[in-house]
Amino acid sequence: MAASLVRFVRSGFGRSLNVARQSAAIVQTRSTTTESRPTVRPKDPVTHSQLSEFGEYVAEILPKYVQQVQVTCFNELEIMVHPEGIIPVLTFLKDHTNAQFRNLADLTAVDIPSKQNRFEIVYNLLSLHYNSRIRVKTYTDELTPLDSSVPVFQASNWYEREVWDMFGVFFTNHPDLRRILTDYGFEGHPFRKDFPLSGYVEVRYDDEVKRVVAEPVELAQEFRKFDLNSPWEAFPAYRGPKDAPKLESGDKSEK
Amino acid sequence: MAGLLKKTTGLVGLAVSQNPHERLGNLYVKILSCLQRIPQDAAYRKYTEQLISERFNHVKTEPDVGKLEKKINAGQIEEVIAQAEAELSLSRKMVEWKAWEPLIEEAPANQWKWPI
Amino acid sequence: MASSAATRTGSAAAKVVKPLFSRDLNEAKRRVRELYRAWYREAPNTVHAYQLDIGTQQCREKVREMFDRNRHVTDPRVIDMLVIKGKMELQETIQVWKQRTHAMRYFQETEAPRPADFLSKFYHGHNP
Repeated sequence: MAASLVRFVRSGFGRSLNVARQSAAIVQTRSTTTESRPTVRPKDPVTHSQLSEFGEYVAEILPKYVQQVQVTCFNELEIMVHPEGIIPVLTFLKDHTNAQFRNLADLTAVDIPSKQNRFEIVYNLLSLHYNSRIRVKTYTDELTPLDSSVPVFQASNWYEREVWDMFGVFFTNHPDLRRILTDYGFEGHPFRKDFPLSGYVEVRYDDEVKRVVAEPVELAQEFRKFDLNSPWEAFPAYRGPKDAPKLESGDKSEK
Repeated sequence: MAGLLKKTTGLVGLAVSQNPHERLGNLYVKILSCLQRIPQDAAYRKYTEQLISERFNHVKTEPDVGKLEKKINAGQIEEVIAQAEAELSLSRKMVEWKAWEPLIEEAPANQWKWPI
Repeated sequence: MASSAATRTGSAAAKVVKPLFSRDLNEAKRRVRELYRAWYREAPNTVHAYQLDIGTQQCREKVREMFDRNRHVTDPRVIDMLVIKGKMELQETIQVWKQRTHAMRYFQETEAPRPADFLSKFYHGHNP
C-alpha cells in the first residue's frame, strides 16, 4: 500500500524555462500491487492515464488559475483552482469542445476549521458528450466572497443558496441569495464544525401566548462526548506503512 | 440525412440546420480570427487552432452532410454547430481573462493537503 | 459567529483581503445607517401586517437594541456580512414570509430570567 507521488512535468511548448513552477501539474496517484481480492477495487490504468492526461491538458491551457491537478485512487479527476479563477475554469470546462462539461451535478462545501481558508467549495461536473466527470475545488473563508457560478450554470442557484445557508459562504452576483433550508429567524450556519450538535434554540408551543416560542436549548443531561478514535482503521490507505509486529524469538521456544 | 429529408435532430431545443456548411464556415472563421489575439505560444490557441482548422478543412472539402458528420465524428451537424458557438464565446472570454498568464497566487501551505 | 471570524481576521490583518462590499469603515457605516433606516420605516408596517400585540415604538426600540448588540464590531467585512444578513431578514419581514412567531421571537417574552445570585441559583437547582 505504498503511496507513490508521480509528478508529471508538462513539456515546454515554446514556454521559457523561468516559468517552470507553473508547468508542474502534480498528478497524485496511489498505486498498489496487482489486486486479485474480490473485495478490493482493481486498478484501471487506462482510465487513470486518460484522466491525468486531460488534467494536464486543462492545467496547461489555464495556467493562471489551476493550482494543482490530481487523480484520486477511485479514478476521479480533481482540479484545484484559485478562488478568483472559478468562473473562467467552469466556463472553459463547459464551453471547450474537448471538455463539454455541460451539467453541474453537485456543488457543496467542506469545512476544515484548522486550515487558513476553512471552506473548500466543490463543484462536480458531468459531461454527457464524453461520459466523464470532473471535480473542481476551490477555497475561501468566512468573510471572503466567492464569485457566483449562476451565470455559467443555472443549476448552481439553489446549491449556492444551500451553501450560504449551511456554511455562510457569501456568493457575489447571485441573483437571489437567501436562506433555503433553515427556518426564518434561525441564526448561525448548521454545517460549520463549530456549530453545536444540539443547536442554540429549541421550540415549543406555549399555551399562554398561543404560538410557538423558541428558547435557548437546555439539556437535562450534559451532552456526552464520545471518544471517536475508532479501533478499526477507517482509511488505512492514507496511513504510512505500519511496523509489522515482530515475534520475539524467545516467545516461540516457550510455547 | 441532409436538409430536406431531415425533420428533426431528436434532441430537445436543437432545430435542424438548413445550411450547416455556411453556418459552420462563418463560426470557424470567427473563432480563428479571435484566436489571433491570443499569444502564439499559449496552449489554448495551439490546441483550439488545430482542432478548429481540422474541422474547417472537412467542412470545406466535404459537401455531403452525412459524410461530413462521420468525418468530424462529434455527433450530428447541429451539435457540431452548437459546439462551435460555445467555443466562439469561450475564445472571446479567454482573450478577456488572459488565461495564459502565470498563476496569480499559490495556494496557502497545506490547503490541499488531506488528511491533515 | 461573526465575532469569532473577527478575531481570526484580526490576527491576519497584515494580509490584504478582498472586500465584501465596503472598502473602508465609513462606507460600511453608511450601509448600516441605510439598513437601520429601512428597518425603522418598516416597523409600523410590520406591526400592522403581523397584527402584533406591541406598539410601533416598542418595535423600533427592539430594532435599535439589535443594532446596538453589534456596536463593538469595527471590521468593515464583518459589518458588511452582518448588513447582508440584516437585509435578508428585512426582506423576509417585508414579504411576510415570516409568521407571527418569528416576528415575536426577538422579544423573548416567555423566557424566564436566568438566576444570577447564589441563593436563587440554589433554589433553581442549578449548580453554579
